[in-house]
Amino acid sequence: MRIVRHSAVVAAAVALSACSLDLQNPNAPTEEQVTTSVDGVIALATGLQSRFATSYFSFAYMAGLVTDEFASTTAALISISDAEQGAVPSGTAIAENVFNSIYRTVRTADDLLTGSNALGDQLDPGTRSGLRALAFALKAEALGEALQSYQKIPINTFGETAPTYVTRAEALTYVRALLDSAAATIAATPPSTLFNTSILTPGVSLPNVIHLFRARYARIARDDATALAAANLVARSGPTALSLLTFPAPTVNPYAAVTGGTNGIAPRRQWRLSMLPQDQRFTYFVVPSTTATGRVGALLDPWNRYANPQSPLPVYFPDEALLIKAEALANQNQLAAAQAALDSVRTDCTGGRGIDDPKACLPPLGAQLTQAQLLTEIYTQRRYELLGTGLRWEDARRRNAIRGPAAAPAVPVEGQRCWLPYAIGDRNANPNATFSALPDPAEPSTFPSGCVV
Amino acid sequence: MGQQRPVFQRRVGDPMTMKLVRLATVAVFTLLASSQALAQTGTVRGRVTDADAARGIADVQVMVNGTRIGGVTGADGAYTLTAVPIGVRTVTARRLGYQPATQQVTVPAGGTVTVDIAMQVSALNLSEVVVTGSGTPTEKRKIGTSVASVDSTIISRAQALTVDQALQGKTAGAQITQNSGGPGGGGVSVRLRGVNSFISGSDPLYIVDGVIVDNGSAQLADLGGRSNPQNRLADLNPADVERIEIIRGAAAAALYGSRANNGVVQIFTKRGNIGRPRFTLTTRAGLAELREQQPFNFYPFDAAGLPVSRFNYQNDIFHRASQTEHNLTIEGGNDQTRYYLSGNFADEDGIMRSTSSRRAGGRVNLQQQLTPRLIGSITANYINTNNQMQAFGEQNDYGIMGSLFFAPTQVDFRPVNGIYPLPPALGTNPLLAIARIRNPQLIDRFIGSTKLTWTPLTSLLFDYTIGIDNTGFEQRQFVPRNAVLGTAPLSTGRSQSIFQATRVINQDGVASYTWQPLGAFELKTTGGLNYTSQHVRTTNAGATGLAPVGELVSAGSVPFAGQTEVELRTLGFYAQQEASWNDKLFLTGGVRFDASSTFAPSERWQAFPKFSISYVAIDNEAGSLNNLRFRGALGWAGSQPGIVNAYSQFITFVNVAFAGRPGFINDITFGNPNLRNERAREWELGGEAGFWDGRIAAEVTYYDRMVDDLLFFRPLATSTGFSRQFSPIGSMSNKGVELLLRTTTYDTKDLSWSTTATYTQNRNRVESLQIQDFQSAGGYPNRIRAGLPAGVFYGSYAARHCVTGALLVDSLGRYRRSNQTVDMGATLAARQAISGGTCNDSLNKVIGDPNPSFMASLLNEVTIANKLRVRLLLDGVFGNDIMNLSTRAQNAGIASNSKEYERELLPYGDPRKLPPGFNARTQGIFEYWIEDGTFVKLRELSASYTLDWEPIRRRIPGGVDLTLSGRNLWVWTDYSGYDPEINLFGTNAGGVGSVQTTAADRGFDFGGYPIPRVWSISARISY
Repeated sequence: MRIVRHSAVVAAAVALSACSLDLQNPNAPTEEQVTTSVDGVIALATGLQSRFATSYFSFAYMAGLVTDEFASTTAALISISDAEQGAVPSGTAIAENVFNSIYRTVRTADDLLTGSNALGDQLDPGTRSGLRALAFALKAEALGEALQSYQKIPINTFGETAPTYVTRAEALTYVRALLDSAAATIAATPPSTLFNTSILTPGVSLPNVIHLFRARYARIARDDATALAAANLVARSGPTALSLLTFPAPTVNPYAAVTGGTNGIAPRRQWRLSMLPQDQRFTYFVVPSTTATGRVGALLDPWNRYANPQSPLPVYFPDEALLIKAEALANQNQLAAAQAALDSVRTDCTGGRGIDDPKACLPPLGAQLTQAQLLTEIYTQRRYELLGTGLRWEDARRRNAIRGPAAAPAVPVEGQRCWLPYAIGDRNANPNATFSALPDPAEPSTFPSGCVV
Repeated sequence: MGQQRPVFQRRVGDPMTMKLVRLATVAVFTLLASSQALAQTGTVRGRVTDADAARGIADVQVMVNGTRIGGVTGADGAYTLTAVPIGVRTVTARRLGYQPATQQVTVPAGGTVTVDIAMQVSALNLSEVVVTGSGTPTEKRKIGTSVASVDSTIISRAQALTVDQALQGKTAGAQITQNSGGPGGGGVSVRLRGVNSFISGSDPLYIVDGVIVDNGSAQLADLGGRSNPQNRLADLNPADVERIEIIRGAAAAALYGSRANNGVVQIFTKRGNIGRPRFTLTTRAGLAELREQQPFNFYPFDAAGLPVSRFNYQNDIFHRASQTEHNLTIEGGNDQTRYYLSGNFADEDGIMRSTSSRRAGGRVNLQQQLTPRLIGSITANYINTNNQMQAFGEQNDYGIMGSLFFAPTQVDFRPVNGIYPLPPALGTNPLLAIARIRNPQLIDRFIGSTKLTWTPLTSLLFDYTIGIDNTGFEQRQFVPRNAVLGTAPLSTGRSQSIFQATRVINQDGVASYTWQPLGAFELKTTGGLNYTSQHVRTTNAGATGLAPVGELVSAGSVPFAGQTEVELRTLGFYAQQEASWNDKLFLTGGVRFDASSTFAPSERWQAFPKFSISYVAIDNEAGSLNNLRFRGALGWAGSQPGIVNAYSQFITFVNVAFAGRPGFINDITFGNPNLRNERAREWELGGEAGFWDGRIAAEVTYYDRMVDDLLFFRPLATSTGFSRQFSPIGSMSNKGVELLLRTTTYDTKDLSWSTTATYTQNRNRVESLQIQDFQSAGGYPNRIRAGLPAGVFYGSYAARHCVTGALLVDSLGRYRRSNQTVDMGATLAARQAISGGTCNDSLNKVIGDPNPSFMASLLNEVTIANKLRVRLLLDGVFGNDIMNLSTRAQNAGIASNSKEYERELLPYGDPRKLPPGFNARTQGIFEYWIEDGTFVKLRELSASYTLDWEPIRRRIPGGVDLTLSGRNLWVWTDYSGYDPEINLFGTNAGGVGSVQTTAADRGFDFGGYPIPRVWSISARISY
């Protein structure tokens, strides 16, 4: 009897005292574990760079579909072949994805900012500087992609439940301020070796990325002086001139992930056929085809550069800096200098600057072009140099070249629509984004047209 | 024995976090130490007989009043009670279907006294003792809620393979659905008083011998995203069951706190009878068959008018399948010890070739009198289940039913040179799947408990139970190379092994004290504590790119793996006060405090009070009205976030690898730092009456339940970087009536006839929704919408004329879909002009309701000359809608194998000819696929004969019974599919491995496994 009682007492006491109700989730790290530890914050920085690749691609994919760049492959969903013809009804998943993906990137950037601040002295100044500059730059680019897709966008979202939407002008100011913060941060405290070798993706130059982004958004804001200055700071040769995101297996280059299947897209053949016959840039991007057709009959060229799942993805094409420079100079009426910059892009050929980027191998322009001719030529060169970056859409917008939906078999020319409909995912839960509070912008009714901002 | 010295002198263990626990433990064991002196005792024995029929009654509970001493009669009605305290005692005999009988007896010290008891048949028995919901054994008359109890004879006579199948049609207020006809039980869901939650499948809490057990139906590999392979209650051997108690809702189940919103089903296994060892061998052999083939398109010409051969693959997929089941039990005992041992083997082939289920198990139940006032008991149950499943339901890659429904009948699936041709558009070759695809499930399970019952005073009772339910579940899957239409990796073959270990540990302590402060008043105070830990560990390994020979993961070239671990802990305390006056009026009040690890720390402790009243107006009087009781109750209970949402309070990050480095990004599901349980409030009113000398008993209950803080995913503004949060989204009510009528029309020695009828009506309504209405079964038309029953079908409909209501067909006689430009005209004005109004302006509307208007069952049992017993159970569900997506799949152009599609092929002029494109049009009109799902099933039909022949009786004193029985023999229904009972979303709603589905998602027929008709013959030999 004594044994029974003793063992019962012991069993009950031990068992009941073991029953703490504060359990940790062993399957996923919690906010506290991630944002308050050095390892966690460093992993956030890697996560943010992954998010950048994802949301940049979501944006570029959609922008390519509603311009003249991409069309769906045969097995693609109907919503994708609708989008390639300029029809993007509210709630279309691929359009929703642009918004949701961008703001998840923004959230990760904000988590990284919060985490790197909270760590205080646990981080050396150079590492914190690098982390903060990375967060500023990629948050800015994400919001920049948003303002190239939506007429109005929310900019203050961290800790909010109902973010408010602001105009493009206000958003652009905010994006540029973030980029200036990024530049100022690394100027004040250069990133540490730890940051550069173990946190930043190998093959990426953060200063060059920041300067390129500054030039990109200065151009969109038509701030020629800043665009020129920033573009001049982007290295055009040497090992830092090309910033590449790498995709070691099992990760996959996002373009390679959509060469087939229900999300499959490919460049329209017209992109290649519309080039000057001597222009060699198609060899960088596509494999010429005479047979590839899409879901609704679009003529396609399969990807070359991105066909391999492990092929790297440039953060930007280095000649974008030259093209921004040429445009800023042309706008400032420095036509000869503008033409020289443009020729530098046109004549880039094998050997050139020693960078693996698209090479036109065209002859120089020759006689001096007028300002209008130069701007048109810059627009043309941007089309062939920057395929798949999503920048084509904003170019069409600023050239008042929105030409309306082009139902198959017609081949779209330039841009087909001004904006994406606002995301239902935000409308459903954000009182500032209901259909009445935030109607979808009206698309132009006559073409060609610019866009109401 | 008789240890006097206090033992609790040392402090045990580390400093404990919970003072309450410590105090409770100290209190229990301090009392334990102050034990009583050994009392002098004697033995009571005798025989219990039927007063009218003069035969011994088996399975009668005989108790000495005011003590815990009791026993159960054997087959001849004999019983023995030992260690009965001496003096004048009252002995009470109780059994379902009889009025309790009492006898006074004087127990001599060390001697034996014989007491024979005669019992009177009574359809109503308010003196039946139940445990569930009251903490300690309590007579039904004292409980203010309706408690259903089902005893072993009802379970065993159902001739069902699983306990939940055996319960079908036996109680009011329960919708027990066999969602699939697969072997091994087929996935049964139990909904008590409607759907009360969108999480955790709305399943009740299952308790076996005091141990909370896992009734999961996890889909570890994809066996059809939402199909119903087997729920784990199927591991329990129905022959071991002594009694099942069911309490249906919050009012009755408040003492179970945050897990009792969906009711509680408590199962008690057999304890063994005192006497010499009794052997019972039961053997059953059965034959299962497809009840009815579906018509397919066997038209000998194709759409171009060319002759084609067509095949009926139902002949190859289904077959007559055999079942065998053997059960051996040994029970017996003496003054000190009672035991029950059983071994069980069941082997069932499914009617779909290549599917089967085998279950082997053993049980040891032991009860030992440790001291005159301390009883210890142990139950141990080991089960080994071995299933061979195939994917069904919504699995269109390698599912057999999916392939049957989606493949045109002119496809010749027979292998050529050993190679099975694949279908043209979708899925696999069903013959290949049968021959080569394998989905074995290997389950090892142990359920055990230890219980100590201590009665230091006749008025004071302590019970402590510790139990464990440990399940090892391995799901394997082998899909060979080139078995699936489509691209890599699946077409290169896949082998997986997923191992899930589930361990539920349960500790339960209860103390009660009964006292009589004033003559007519009796008070009973009960307190208890409960601690449960549920720990689920899952690892999976798999590979694609299989070698041509070899079925294990090692045959693959591209491996993958994963691991998850979830633990849930619940700690609860309760206190209850009962007061009774003159054994007529009973009042009860109680409260349970529950804390769960799934609740956020700020919301951790939740209280669930209850109140009830019971008034016995007429108690066992002679005449036309013998009994009358009124009762009412009010109580609260909850539902916890389940295994899949166990950590939903945390804001978490997702691991993404990038550029070869580990990275974190935010999970799009935002944590809920205020997470707690769903909360149900329920009141019920009811009563029982007995008429005409106990021949008729009626029971009626009206209930009204309101569940607040329903948990589901609330959409978040995606501009925050998140898309959803697991949080309260609204409220839902269930109101209804439960009726039970039991008659004993004749009861003589030569003929007895009894009838049990149930009627259940439940009205479900989503009362409020703080989020937009949503598709509860991601992608399917079941919808949660405020003001409507949960899970209504919401979808596209055929345009009708707004005034006449006539279908608007086009010039070819085809349906038009409402508000569609192509079907109805380009402008809204044009569409309204055709419609004659605005009734077709919406694209979708509510097109059906899968919730039944009512359910009813009728059980008749006739016994002739004490030898031949015939039993017939009809079970029906009325007024529910079913969406027949199986036939929709058949009508799709790529399948074109339905009888209706055949009509499109007929020559013009044939009166059955359908216009070309008719079936293509109806694909997009979901209203077209709604059918009335009303059915009545001949659920059970059996005839048993007791061989009462002198030579047999001499050799086998326990007797020999032969039974011929059938299950699901006939179905009366207008529903056109295989079976109106099967449901795509059934047992696994909201569970591990399920796609987003909820318990509200009902009435979907999509590639389900048809429920077979089963004939069986069995023999029961008792020695």
